[in-house]
Amino acid sequence: MAAIYPVALPQVYGYLLPRCGSVAVAEDLTAETFMAAVAASRRRPPPHVTVAWLIGIARHKLVDHWRRAEREHRGLAAAEQELPAGEDPWHEVLDAQAAHAALRRLSLPQRTALTLRYLDGLPVAEVARHLDRSVHATETLLVRARSALRRVYREGEHHAA
Amino acid sequence: MPRDPLEALRLPVVPVEPRPQFTTALLRRIQGAPEPAGHAATVRYFVDDMDAAVAFYCHALGFEEELRPAPAFAMLYRGDLRLLLSLPIEPHALGDGTLPVPGTGFNRMSLRVRDLRGTVDELRTQGISFATAITAGPTVDTVLLRDPAGNLVELFEPRGPGYHERPSTPPPRRVHEHRQRPLHRR
Repeated sequence: MAAIYPVALPQVYGYLLPRCGSVAVAEDLTAETFMAAVAASRRRPPPHVTVAWLIGIARHKLVDHWRRAEREHRGLAAAEQELPAGEDPWHEVLDAQAAHAALRRLSLPQRTALTLRYLDGLPVAEVARHLDRSVHATETLLVRARSALRRVYREGEHHAA
Repeated sequence: MPRDPLEALRLPVVPVEPRPQFTTALLRRIQGAPEPAGHAATVRYFVDDMDAAVAFYCHALGFEEELRPAPAFAMLYRGDLRLLLSLPIEPHALGDGTLPVPGTGFNRMSLRVRDLRGTVDELRTQGISFATAITAGPTVDTVLLRDPAGNLVELFEPRGPGYHERPSTPPPRRVHEHRQRPLHRR
């Protein structure tokens, strides 16, 4: 692990930082990722330690982090779920930076689903596996999340104007 | 079908260096994490009588019994050397079915002792059979003896300044640090 560390550390941290948007959280999750990797590398047979494998662990740590945070703020998240889905798909061209800012204002389940689906580019089935939901429930969550993102994004545009 | 505009959110991983203090502290945590077992050099011997073999290595040669989880297997330690004793049964067969035969061949482990002559005298009183007399080499005196299964064990005592042994070093962190050069293939 120490051998790959100089190369892998900036990649893992570079994956986590823009997704969680906080240096403190990114550092915690980076440390959790590497300690989990050290523990996993003791298994027999040992895993093949690559940057991609480490980023996979980091993705799990990020989802776990949001899941914990969501449990702590379940009331807020539940209120968010009640919003109507609105129309889909979305035809406007997005300003990526403003969209990322809007993403950070969504409820944690929505933010998690959109991050895995669009920032990481995972297929829906894989997003469902990470969230421990059915594909159908994940598709519904993604529809609502896209709709919420559009609303928050438009509000942002409105405030900027 | 139009491309989903949210695809524009795709965020490739761009490397970011964390704070140097964080980098150093995390590296220290990784290196400080206890390593998997494997500090001891390990040798396996095949024996035909497990009780006799364990008694021999523990009583005559200063090993300690660590584990004996099954009749066909025992794990002994002598300092940093781990000795695995196995009965020559099916799990140890080669691909063609050949089973190991205890007590054959000249390969052996070498155990360093402080006083070779005194050790040999002491072991003779225990009725242990020696395969050679004490032999003086360029830098060590050696003697070969046999365990109850007939396996050879070498005892040696360094003699003179030409003797070399690497000072004790921590074990490699990863096995493949030593596998960077390809193995020779036939």
